[in-house]
Amino acid sequence: MSEWHNDGSFLDLLGSRLTVVPSLGGASPEALSGFVETHATTILAFHFGGGVLVAGDRRATAGNRIMTNRIEKVLEIDGGSLMAIAGSPAFALEMARVLEHTFKYYRRSQLAELSVEGKLRILSQLLKENIPMAVQGIGAVVPLFVTQDPESKESKIYFYDILGAHFEGVPFAVGGSGSLEVQGILRYLDRWGNSGRGLSAMPEREAVILSLRLLETASYFDSATGGVQVRETVYPVVKILDREGIHTIEEDTLKEIYRTGVESV
Amino acid sequence: MFDEPYRWVEAIGQRRDYIEDQIKRSTPVLVSSVQEGIVFYTFYRKIPKVYEIYDRIAMGAIGHPADIEAIRMMLLNAAHVEGFQRSPQDVTLNRLVLFALSPRLKTAFEDVMSSPMLFRSVLAEVGSTIQKDRLMLVDYDGNVEEASGLVVAGGTGTARDRVLKQFPLKEDKKRWTLQEMLPRFLDAYLKGVFEDDELGFDSSGNCIDEGKFKQARTRLFSEGVANVSLLDRKKGTLVPLEIPVPPVPEEEISR
Repeated sequence: MSEWHNDGSFLDLLGSRLTVVPSLGGASPEALSGFVETHATTILAFHFGGGVLVAGDRRATAGNRIMTNRIEKVLEIDGGSLMAIAGSPAFALEMARVLEHTFKYYRRSQLAELSVEGKLRILSQLLKENIPMAVQGIGAVVPLFVTQDPESKESKIYFYDILGAHFEGVPFAVGGSGSLEVQGILRYLDRWGNSGRGLSAMPEREAVILSLRLLETASYFDSATGGVQVRETVYPVVKILDREGIHTIEEDTLKEIYRTGVESV
Repeated sequence: MFDEPYRWVEAIGQRRDYIEDQIKRSTPVLVSSVQEGIVFYTFYRKIPKVYEIYDRIAMGAIGHPADIEAIRMMLLNAAHVEGFQRSPQDVTLNRLVLFALSPRLKTAFEDVMSSPMLFRSVLAEVGSTIQKDRLMLVDYDGNVEEASGLVVAGGTGTARDRVLKQFPLKEDKKRWTLQEMLPRFLDAYLKGVFEDDELGFDSSGNCIDEGKFKQARTRLFSEGVANVSLLDRKKGTLVPLEIPVPPVPEEEISR
């Protein structure tokens, strides 16, 4: 029986089989100048009365082309962690898969949950390995990461820069090309909105309405953000992390909330 | 030394006797499908015996802790690399046991110049319905026995049979719930650990001394830690279960 060492590292286990960050194969940045990357988005996360809400639009673009309007950018990594992706979906989705397996492998092999700090550092490590691609402008990934302490059940929002540094988003964090508008609105609402009680006192239904309004606003200014496309029946992905775990707001619920809380107001 | 076939066969026979002798004192692991998933029921003294291997797959094992750990890590590594490189849906109990675990166990068992693996296990894969659940008894020599209903990894065949006797075959068809099954598991487990006279049973299986039965039950909970888990049908993960500790008999309290 070989392979019985147990250090809990899925990255070490994969070793050379890990292909999140591809080799350029000697191609110079100039040779890649004609390459059009699939990217652009709006993702957001904020604390509300019932936990943390994470939402993202569904559009992926390459230059002026819309590649798809049905990509999912808010991903469940484990029962207590969500990752919202902005940037190159090819690398971001692969990073999410690596994270999912890394957390599960650690939990199963070490018979303990990986700490919040440990989870954050693994994502940092993946982003750092992606720097060569990111600085050449063909594979940047800028995620939001929302996770819950397994002991205290306290949820926190983190955002990363392109080099892998992470920062806590209190009480919100945003990402993607449409994030500028959303950031300003969230700041305003947290300071003066909700009758002066801020975002953290907002009930769930109002939080979902807010997320839909924010994504629609972002799509108004940013062509790469899909917003809410009622005619195509494409609704954003909205997930909530609370003390019970993660739950996804179903499309029928989003449809009803959009009709009563966004469209008809 | 092993240049003659007879000597090799003799060495294998002695190896089998040695392994059986080493694991005969292990307390059993009971595994069964219920409506909510697959239940693993056992007690341990030093280290747990029930482990999650991958989404929907778990293992309960008896034997030497170092051997169990080596096999557990081999299964974990194989399952996670496969699940990452292909898809979690491609990680199945069938492939893990028949193509990864069983051949290695057989090779290890027949290599008479190396130390033997002291290992016996039940591996389970929970399906979307009870009919789709898979239970496999995997032995130290690589032998695989697929079963339905209740599966027991016991230290001896006798202990295993005593447990299985508590679950007549006709009852296999019933779709038990977790709450219905847990008390039955406890009674069956006691039969697998204690002899009839220690439990206050006569040779016909009737309880003639309830005090002895309660004492045995108290010993089980005071000397070991309950290791009861549900491989949840909806979540696909192994969820530890708390089981109520039975009240200590009055005669035990007064001592």
